[in-house]
Amino acid sequence: MTSNEGGAPRRLRFEIFRYNPEDPGSNPQMQTYELDEAPYMSLFIALNQIRETLDPSLQFDFACRSAICGSCGMMVNGRPALGCRTLTSDLPDVIRLHPLPVFKLIGDLSVDTGTWFREMVEKSEAWIHAEEAFDPEAQEARMDDELAQAIYEGERCIECGCCVASCGVANVNEDFTGPAGLNRIARFMMDPRDKRSDADWFEVVSNADGVFGCLGMMACHDVCPKELPLLEVYAYLRRKTLAAAFAGKEE
Amino acid sequence: MSSDLISTDVLVIGGGLAGERCAIEAAAAGHKVLILSLVPPRRSHSCAAQGGMQAALGNCVKADGDNPTVHFLDTVRGSDWGADQEVARIFTEEAPVAVRELAHLGVPWTRVRGGKNSYVIKGERVEIEESIENDGLIMHRDFGGTAKWRACYAAAATGHAALYAIDSEVVRLGITVRDRTEAVELIHEGGRCQGAVARCLRTGKHFAVVAKATVIATGGYGRIYGQYTTNATINEGMGAVIALNTGAVPLGNMEAVQFHPTALAPSNILVTEGCRGDGAYLLDKDLNRFMVDAEPEKQELASRDVVSRHMKQRMRDGKGVDTPYGPHLWLDLRHLGEQHLTTKLREVWEICRDFVGLDPARDLIPVQPTQHYSMGGVRVNKDGQAYNMSGLFAAGEAACWDMHGFNRLGGNSLAETVVAGRIVGRRVAEFVADKDFEIQTSVAFAAMKKAERRAAEWLNRTGSGPSVYAIRNAMGETMMGKVGIFRNGEELEEAVAEITHLLAECDKAVLRSRVPGMNPELTFALRLKGMLRLALVTAKGALLRTESRGAHYRSDYPLRNDAEWLSRTLVRWADDEGEPTFSYEPVGEIDLPPGHRGYGSDERIEMRESLEQYNDGVYERQAVHGRLATVEAAGSRLRRGEWKGLV
Amino acid sequence: MPGRTKNLDGFANAASEARRQIYYELASGASGLVLALFMWGHMILVGSILTGERGFNWLAGMLEVYYIAQPTVVVIFTLFLVHAALASRKIPAQLADRRRMIELGKGLANAGRFRPANASEISPMQAHIESRLWIWQVRTGMVILVLGSFHVVLLGLDVLTPLFGEHPGIEALTSVARVKAGLWLPYAILLLCVEFHAGVGLYRLAIKWGAGRLLSRNVLHAIERVLLWFFLGLGVVVLLVLADVLPPPLAFLLTEPAI
Ligand SMILES: Cc1cc2nc3c(=O)[nH]c(=O)nc-3n(C[C@H](O)[C@H](O)[C@H](O)COP(=O)(O)OP(=O)(O)OC[C@H]3O[C@@H](n4cnc5c(N)ncnc54)[C@H](O)[C@@H]3O)c2cc1C
Ligand code: HEM
Ligand code: HEM
Ligand code: SF4
Ligand code: F3S
Ligand code: FES
Repeated sequence: MTSNEGGAPRRLRFEIFRYNPEDPGSNPQMQTYELDEAPYMSLFIALNQIRETLDPSLQFDFACRSAICGSCGMMVNGRPALGCRTLTSDLPDVIRLHPLPVFKLIGDLSVDTGTWFREMVEKSEAWIHAEEAFDPEAQEARMDDELAQAIYEGERCIECGCCVASCGVANVNEDFTGPAGLNRIARFMMDPRDKRSDADWFEVVSNADGVFGCLGMMACHDVCPKELPLLEVYAYLRRKTLAAAFAGKEE
Repeated sequence: MSSDLISTDVLVIGGGLAGERCAIEAAAAGHKVLILSLVPPRRSHSCAAQGGMQAALGNCVKADGDNPTVHFLDTVRGSDWGADQEVARIFTEEAPVAVRELAHLGVPWTRVRGGKNSYVIKGERVEIEESIENDGLIMHRDFGGTAKWRACYAAAATGHAALYAIDSEVVRLGITVRDRTEAVELIHEGGRCQGAVARCLRTGKHFAVVAKATVIATGGYGRIYGQYTTNATINEGMGAVIALNTGAVPLGNMEAVQFHPTALAPSNILVTEGCRGDGAYLLDKDLNRFMVDAEPEKQELASRDVVSRHMKQRMRDGKGVDTPYGPHLWLDLRHLGEQHLTTKLREVWEICRDFVGLDPARDLIPVQPTQHYSMGGVRVNKDGQAYNMSGLFAAGEAACWDMHGFNRLGGNSLAETVVAGRIVGRRVAEFVADKDFEIQTSVAFAAMKKAERRAAEWLNRTGSGPSVYAIRNAMGETMMGKVGIFRNGEELEEAVAEITHLLAECDKAVLRSRVPGMNPELTFALRLKGMLRLALVTAKGALLRTESRGAHYRSDYPLRNDAEWLSRTLVRWADDEGEPTFSYEPVGEIDLPPGHRGYGSDERIEMRESLEQYNDGVYERQAVHGRLATVEAAGSRLRRGEWKGLV
Repeated sequence: MPGRTKNLDGFANAASEARRQIYYELASGASGLVLALFMWGHMILVGSILTGERGFNWLAGMLEVYYIAQPTVVVIFTLFLVHAALASRKIPAQLADRRRMIELGKGLANAGRFRPANASEISPMQAHIESRLWIWQVRTGMVILVLGSFHVVLLGLDVLTPLFGEHPGIEALTSVARVKAGLWLPYAILLLCVEFHAGVGLYRLAIKWGAGRLLSRNVLHAIERVLLWFFLGLGVVVLLVLADVLPPPLAFLLTEPAI
């Protein structure tokens, strides 16, 4: 299905969701564009080419175009993916693009992930709750490199929203903390600099909007472009919750 | 007050590391702060920085003996003596504090592992015993142009980790952020900045923000090089443009443009210098490690300008690998081993897999030098206060605070963002606290009308003019082709002519789409003229500077000329004036006298005057160019002569 | 202040609410686990029919004589209802929401050739199916609820009535007669649903609580499928024997040697 070596390039057919909420005359619909495939063509290149040569009104978001800023999540043939990282050579001749569900639509393929993630950070207070203020004179507190690497593993989330869009629960329960949210919580739980106790976390995590909202659908894990071990994260949260529940009982 | 007029104490334009760190400082002092950003703050380009952040903590064996003074020496030499040495001094002293503060805020810095460690240094695998005493302190990696291992890093996602930590602090403090909002015009009168007009990128509507202090922290503007840049698509330089448009605020050193040696060919996505820091080789098409002969001392780890030039020369000599996209060279990471690549350089490993389908553990990586960093920007004094405009500040890559001079060292710019954020933020807070300020809504509304008129003019223009994207592409070709790594008078003149022509074209360009809302084509069109103006002052600045210094290399004037050009370029250009005005100020008080950088060519034209003569009255001479008085006396934190014991 | 969360404002006592939540979660998982293990055991027991009527009757008789069968029926039926009640809490109440989930699962499964993020863990170009499997778990659960209740009540009568009079308990003769008469159809459906539901359920349960650390997801998925096909196959053979279509294949075990 890749472009045939040396021969004529493949003709790609893009079916793109169009809707501009700012335009009273606009109705949600699919629109079709055709392009010749080029080597190493990503959806970033293809969409810009469509905008620059075929339809200048097409809205979509890219910033870093190197899979690090998380701007460009979109549904590619029914599966959330980063547009900048998705090469057309991995896709069939017909490429259907939709905006990510769950998030508020801004226009065409552009959605408001920023607001969702800011709310998530506010809700789970995803920052270090230190006991003492920063002391500019002091040497940094030590941390074992193994632990630093483990925290880094969770820290790598780029808040692209692909996992959220892929999760059945997040799609129907807007209060669900969501895969990325649970991952962030786990990252802070693991961090010894954060002084919140297991009991504090217990109340946040142990409920239907927390880790028990997760039905184990596993889509989040499969679509995460940063390959975060999300399933392990939930298992970690579940086990922590269990421990906290029984520890709390004894008090 | 109507919804198209918002009032705040501090307006921060830009939600990257510099802007947010600055906002935190002002908000912590109790001021009302509003941040504007084109994208949600965590998507700012700071998140793309991989390699590291320079701070002289001296924690590992190869960093033994490091201190801010050694860092200062490296920075000034790296700048090819173009830096303001006092600022470099302030920076190197504050960097360790800023890095430790980030640790406090949650950055998972890679740590020292006490005991035996295996590194690749200058092509050799070496075993080094890290002291158990330092186990768990912040680790360093080697970067170009430095005497010690100094770059602190969180695997290969340093900027990402730092930005998330800082943004979490912004959320904790409850600072308001308006993302998808673009500042398009400064509100100012009589040399006093009063805020900015913004355009909402959801609805396309304009509104005014009046503020007692305004901070420009809009990052770099690599996109004036079209696609030939490692920068994000949002790095289009509107921060510098709105300052330039005032006609009062000068931009500094616009011709000082950094080219990074290792951008992935052909997409120009950055492959971090951390690779070479960790021991990667550069190879030509014959798989020859040419940097060993070219720079025996530093090899692959000479400063970026030097390595980029050797690479470009190599390709000119026909030693590049030819492809339909042009020639490239190879970066070899294979000997570092899969384990190292998938942990300490994981982001690099992913980029190679995802964008070119290569496995760095087995394959060579195609690389080429590409525009990477803008040393120039809004010229500010050591407080971050813009020249000639009270109440306007700038920080981060958007500013010419000027610790980088004509070449920034790898890892110095992430560190700059947080250091400058801390310092400038403090000054902004003080400024806001002791200045009475009366909002003149009429000035704000006039600025807003101006911005609205500009948009309306684009929408009303009809005919068959060129497309805005065609003009942008032509600009990119000209800039990379003629204002690139090797420059000469002839090509620079062509570049100036071509861009002048494109500016005229821009006035004729016509939109293809007139949809309501943000209208992506209009949004870009509104930036295009500004970008061309930045491109023009860059090209013209390069044409006028008849010497080679740092990243600015003139084949027709290959020597650094301290006799005539030990100066900083300033350019002013109001948006209704035909021509930019160039002037030159002294770089600042010089403590470390100009000399050999330790890499690159040793030949140069010496200063004619003595250092004493140069330094005499240097701050008065800067004030003539618009430098406003600083809170502490200029030069007071220079620590003159402290480097002497170390050289 | 550390630990203050806005999340649960409105709950009088967040900690006790959280504790209740984890008990629900444990109960639904554990009941599923027990039921699934029971079903496999059950299949082995019913499988005694493969040795012929004698073996079946003997086993059934033993379980009844030693009063194993009677309490088991009660316990299993209770667990069955508890599990159904707890599990159905997780099924979205709104039709539109269920549709959304179905559509999403379908889309993900049909996304086609795609390099999954975790190329190392799942073979390249494999589609994501677990979301769709969950939909089917709900559907099969519904079927099990109806057919399983009927079956357990029926068997409950078989097992419990002898306690109150002169009735025979579970007997091969009656079982074969009613299966042959038409119960084979609901049993076939039930069998398919139960094996699928229990297999996928256990796989999911293992992942949820972290078995992924010991065995990779690929391996877990493979184990799940092997078990599923094994018990499904066994069940079909048993059902064919019960329906009198096949002679008991293992009957030779219990026949006296010819000499
Ligand atoms: C690929 C890459 C890798 C790098 N790696 C390193 C490294 O390893 N070490 C190092 O020291 N440096 C590195 N750098 C350089 C460094 O990352 C940047 O210089 C630094 O992050 C700039 O930070 P900033 O806060 O000034 O700007 P940015 O992070 O770019 O933020 C700019 C902000 O301004 C906003 N903005 C822009 N224009 C407007 C407008 N008109 N109105 C409103 N908002 C606006 C944007 O939305 C954004 O929020 C790297 C740079 C690149 C491109
Ligand atoms: C013999 C009968 C049954 C067996 C062996 C069984 C087994 C299981 C198992 C092992 C799980 C996984 C539990 C978990 O992931 O936490 C599960 C989940 C589930 N079961 Fe059952 N089950 C049975 C009957 C039913 C019935 C009657 C229903 C009725 C609606 C049902 C609905 C569900 C649902 C919706 C789930 C998913 C719950 C979740 O993901 O949390 N099951 N089942
Ligand atoms: C303790 C309770 C149970 C007892 C004693 C029991 C007993 C039996 C018996 C005797 C048969 C043979 C057919 C018959 O006589 O009708 C049978 C078949 C069957 N039972 Fe049960 N059962 C029990 C619970 C369940 C449950 C909870 C389920 C599933 C929800 C179930 C599913 C089946 C199926 C699918 C068959 C058909 C056998 C096959 O195809 O292999 N049983 N059971
Ligand atoms: S967890 Fe993965 S998919 Fe989800 S937001 Fe983070 S990076 Fe994206
Ligand atoms: S997709 Fe959703 S249900 Fe759980 S495993 Fe992932 S969060
Ligand atoms: S554009 Fe940044 S992740 Fe795709």
